[in-house]
Parts: sequence; C-alpha cells; structure tokens
Amino acid sequence: MWETFLRKVYVVGIGLTNVGRFYERSLRDLASEALIKALDDVGNITPEGMVVSNMLSSLIEQENLASLIADYSGLRGISGFKVEAACGSGGAAILAAYSLVSSGLMDIVAVVGVEKLSERPTPEVTRGLAYAADADYEIPYGVTFSGLNALVMRYYMSKYGVKREEIAVWPVLMHENGYKNPYAQLRMRITIDDVLKSPVIADPIRLYDSCPLSDGAAALILASEDIARKLNDTPVLIAGVGNALDSTDITSRFELDTFLASRLSAERAYRMSKLGPKDVDVAELHDAYSINGILTLEDVGFAPKGQGAKLLSEGRFRPGDKPVINPSGGLKSRGHPVGATGVYQVCEVVMQIRGDFPGIKVPCDVGLTQNIGGVGSNISTVILKRGD
Amino acid sequence: MKDALLGLIGTRCLDCGFTAYPPKKSCPKCRSRNTKTVELGRVGKVVSYTVINVPMSGFEKMTPITIALVDVGGCIILTQLTGVRPEEVYVGMEVEATIRRSAETIDGYIPYIIKFKPVQ
Repeated sequence: MWETFLRKVYVVGIGLTNVGRFYERSLRDLASEALIKALDDVGNITPEGMVVSNMLSSLIEQENLASLIADYSGLRGISGFKVEAACGSGGAAILAAYSLVSSGLMDIVAVVGVEKLSERPTPEVTRGLAYAADADYEIPYGVTFSGLNALVMRYYMSKYGVKREEIAVWPVLMHENGYKNPYAQLRMRITIDDVLKSPVIADPIRLYDSCPLSDGAAALILASEDIARKLNDTPVLIAGVGNALDSTDITSRFELDTFLASRLSAERAYRMSKLGPKDVDVAELHDAYSINGILTLEDVGFAPKGQGAKLLSEGRFRPGDKPVINPSGGLKSRGHPVGATGVYQVCEVVMQIRGDFPGIKVPCDVGLTQNIGGVGSNISTVILKRGD
Repeated sequence: MKDALLGLIGTRCLDCGFTAYPPKKSCPKCRSRNTKTVELGRVGKVVSYTVINVPMSGFEKMTPITIALVDVGGCIILTQLTGVRPEEVYVGMEVEATIRRSAETIDGYIPYIIKFKPVQ
C-alpha cells in the first residue's frame, strides 16, 4: 500500500504559537491559540473532527486533551481524539487526520499539536522524555534520551571517521537560519567554537548539539479536494505520507548508524507522491540532536551513507541550495515542543510553499517533513506540494 | 521477562541465526517464531559509550554515569560500566559482566542489575 488513496487531501489553514518557555500560560491556552489562528486562516470554519498530538501532558496531570481543547476553543460536539508516538506524535496525528479526510469519513479535520513542560523541573522532564526508550532494558541503567543519541553519535563518528567539528556545523547552520524566524525559541547566532566549548550533556553530545525544552502549539486544517479550493486560494496538497517503526531499544538494530524507520517512511511517502529526494526544494528534518539531523540527511536520501556531515561542512543544504534544510532553524533553534514538533514542521513547509513564511524564504514547489519518535523508532514523513 | 536484566538473556532465531537483545517473541529479521532463549556472553568489547552528566530524576547520586554498548559475541547490549573512570573508557575496550545496584525505584526498591567492568 502507500500507493493508492481515495481522495486528495489539502492543507487549507495553519496556525502556530511562538516556541518558548511560557510559565504564565496553560496547555489549553497554547493549543487554542494555534487552533483558532488556523481556523481563522481559512475564515473561521468549523471542522468535523480534531486529532491532537502530545507526548507528556501526563507530567502536568492532564490527559483527554481532545475534549479539553475542542471545548475551550468553542468546538464542543465535534469528533476527536489524541495520538501519541513520543516526539513523533505530530507526524502520526497528521497521518491519522489525513486518513479521516482521504477515506471520506470527514471533509474538514483539524490537527492540533501541543506540549507544555516548563512547569516541571528538568530531571523530571528528562525522565519523561526517556519514556520513549525501553523501560525494562534501557532506563534501569540510567541512560537518558541524550545518552542514547550520544551512543549513536560516537558509533557513527568512529565508523565513518567523522570529526567532531564537522558535526558542529549542524547547530551553527540551524542558529543562522532560526535567527530570522520570529517563531523560534533560540534566536541567536553561534560559532563552531561555541558548540565545542558548551557544557557536555552526554559525551560527545554537548549543550549546543541539543534542542531546548520547549512549550508551544501548532495547528493545521486539512480538507478534501472538492472543498479545499472553496476554502482557500492557495491550498497545499499533501502529496505523500509515510510512517515506519523500528525497535524501541537501540541494541537490536540491524545498523546502529541508520534510522531504518527514516528510510522506510520516506520511501513510502516518495512512492505515494511519485516524487523522489531530488524533487525536494525544502525539508524540515528532526534534529533533536545534531546527530539526528546528519543521519536523516542520509536516510531520507539527501546524502550518501556516511557523507552527511561531510557535505554539510562543505557548504551544502544552506539557503540557495536544493534542498534547503530547516530554514525554520530546526529543533535546535526553533525549538522542540515535543508532541507539536511534527505539526510545526508541516506548518512551516506549507508557509514556504505559499510564500508567507516570516523567516528565511525558500522558493519551492515541493517540501518534505520528517518527525522522529524515540531514537528513530517511530518516524513519519509528509511530502507537500503546491496545489494544482 | 525482567529476569533478563540479571541473566543477560537474549533470543536466537533458529531459522536465520539472528540474536536479539532485548529478547523478542519473534525474530525481528525474518519474523520466525522459531526462536530460543539463549544466555549471552559475559565478556565483550565496547562499541560505543557515553558519559551522562545531566541525569534523569532518581539517578542524581550516580552521576556521572558511564553507559556503553557492548558487543558480546555478535549481539549488542546496553549496560552501565563500573570500576573505570569515564576518561579511561575507549572503543574496543574489553569488559566483563558483574552484578551491581541500580538507582532506587519510586516505590523504594533497590534493583540489582548487571553492569560491566574492565577485564582484569
């Protein structure tokens, strides 16, 4: 499958909050801001359904998010539920919403991604994020999410002879891009020296290799082909979607330096869209850590295996290149509001295609997003295309 | 299933030979259910490692924590290293299994788990 679908599905509206640490705001407040902006982007329509994405609202003792957000936003009575796939929740929710519209069950569906973690102390959030790893075989050793990615990073560096400085180019580029994104959490420029001198989180991962802890919400309105154009002059086609799973643990992986689920989910989205990596003008990839960005450059098909860091340090993937990677600043600079990140990525690429992204603009017809849950264990890819 | 933390248990596929740790009900490589439980080697080589400076809650007193991926006869396991300074660890280092305590759980238990130490 991943080849045929019943009805074409378009993004007709987007809305997002700034990414940051909003101690004075609540989860429902952030989610509702994004949702209402997205509804107003289309002209205050009423969706028939809503799919919410979130990972860790249990830490603030709130589940059952769909009813909470719908009711607070004036949508009591619509259909809805939450989807969870760790940090990949946003991409998974988009797949679910896509299916609702494509199947004909509903004509208009909202996707709302939200995360609100800043109330909780960092060790507790660090533990919560590690719930995405294997609770029986990884957590008892005290390994954190940063630690698991650090194991992958060192393995990759030693297998391909990649230098630490080459990987440090990733966060420098992300901050260069995110500096111009008004929604971004960390809007400052950094140098390779800053990265290499920043505190060690989980060796060899340093602070500036890591995304920040973020609050934020983003929303999309999806609509079926027959009504998309009536709602919006510039609908953006969801040309392909794909999802794939790998092991939750990193030890039984077939290859430690490859995200199998990244490759498979991208292949599924490419097949469905009849497009390939060479067609992609702009991509938003999931760089929770620098090493994730480098690995997915390779697994999505933008660089040969083992060459991602090298091509990046030689100057590829910057504005003006094809593809441009993470003009938003990526998770590193825009931030990583965990369950909302996959929805932010699609909002950003939709804006790039429409031409109204408020940061670095990339002339484009085709964009790709990839959203990762766990250490590459649950990955969703979305391919977006200018509406015909 | 949690006994595997003390016994160092994996599963070997009797059809394709793939050994999985943690143990799996079916072979991840060929989907065969014809698997058997095997005790993994207790001596191996470090293939990657990290030193965790920012711990999750519950592990503050153990920090810094040295975590390694150890290849025990073609199967990789994740473990904590003990009896070695973080700066002395290297890829290729020979290590062997031993029993040590882990961090106290939220309900007050002190679990004992396998950690690895340098081969003397």
